[in-house]
Amino acid sequence: MTVLPLRKDEPAPDAGTPPTLWDPVVRLTHWSVAMIVLLNGLWTKGGGALHVALGWVAMSILALRLIWGLIGPREARFSAFPPHPVAALRHLGQLARGRPGLHGSHNPAGAMMAYVLWACLAVLIGTGLVLSGGRTPMQVAADQAAVAAGDWSVLVASSDGQGDDQDGATLRHLAEEVHEVTSSLILFLAALHVAGVAVESLALRRNLLAPMVLGRRGRRRG
Amino acid sequence: MSSDLSAAARRQSLALTIFLVVQSLASVFFLGDVIADLRSDPDSVHFLFEALVTATLILGVIFGAFALRRTLETLREQEAALEVARGALGAVIEAQFQAWGLTPAERDVGLLALKGLDVAEIAELRGAAQGTVRAQLTRIYSKAGVSGRAQFAAFFVEDLLGEGLPKAKAG
Repeated sequence: MTVLPLRKDEPAPDAGTPPTLWDPVVRLTHWSVAMIVLLNGLWTKGGGALHVALGWVAMSILALRLIWGLIGPREARFSAFPPHPVAALRHLGQLARGRPGLHGSHNPAGAMMAYVLWACLAVLIGTGLVLSGGRTPMQVAADQAAVAAGDWSVLVASSDGQGDDQDGATLRHLAEEVHEVTSSLILFLAALHVAGVAVESLALRRNLLAPMVLGRRGRRRG
Repeated sequence: MSSDLSAAARRQSLALTIFLVVQSLASVFFLGDVIADLRSDPDSVHFLFEALVTATLILGVIFGAFALRRTLETLREQEAALEVARGALGAVIEAQFQAWGLTPAERDVGLLALKGLDVAEIAELRGAAQGTVRAQLTRIYSKAGVSGRAQFAAFFVEDLLGEGLPKAKAG
């Protein structure tokens, strides 16, 4: 519109540039899930009340983010970053040549990462529910307290509750395997995701972390 | 003024978001409880009541999400309008500078003067002598037909104030 250096910052974001600040739902769900994955993957005891509670929190956060993907603002909606593996590979090719294109939401590779991470979360939550017998964290805590107090009957009740013993045991065993493999996978993918953001930021000479935190500093001018 | 407005809207949307997160937490925990009740005692009044509460909570999450999106969109529209206003003022200034026949150097100096920089600052920014800048400003004021810096700035402020002043002048 004007060649004058009237303002020093960039032009208003159009469809082709990533947001300078993600909306609060995206940011809050992003960081709380990141924290829960780290806590449950590396610190809390599997099957413990805290582990199960954090898993339930992750389930609600994931549900909220998925709802937000349908009714949120444009760049938060799935339609802004459809899963497109070919485009993702093309983007990685551009990145390798040092010239990645700009995108209105997540770049295609980042979008694939988001979907894979969400799938891993869903698998972890599903298998976790199988392993905890679908009990809420409050029930798990109550049962643990009962066992600690010497009442072992809840253990019998919960294994009886699984119905057919043989099938239940096989299902639990399978769920346990999948839960463990997926938890390693999601930690690996999270590290890859962080590396991807760093590489992309360098290639674009554009801080991609800031929009996920507080946006650009000094953005609000008079 | 406008940044206060958007800061307030930003705070409001953050508060709404936190509320939404807590509400989703409550919904999922209640839902788990309802499903547990469904497996043990589906006919009890307790179960029916809890199912109703849970359904209301989930609806609340969805409506809350819609409300939040509207807030965010309003905020974004306000910011876009502000950008357009800024851009429009820039265009007005550019056109006026051209109409006055300012040289490119004079345009730069004029713009810096409009942004409130004094002679020493402009000189330092442009790597020129203060005398040069002063001479350029004098030429700008004479081309614009204004008495000095105050009138020069007022020329554009008048544009910003819209229709109000010229009408009052005419009347």
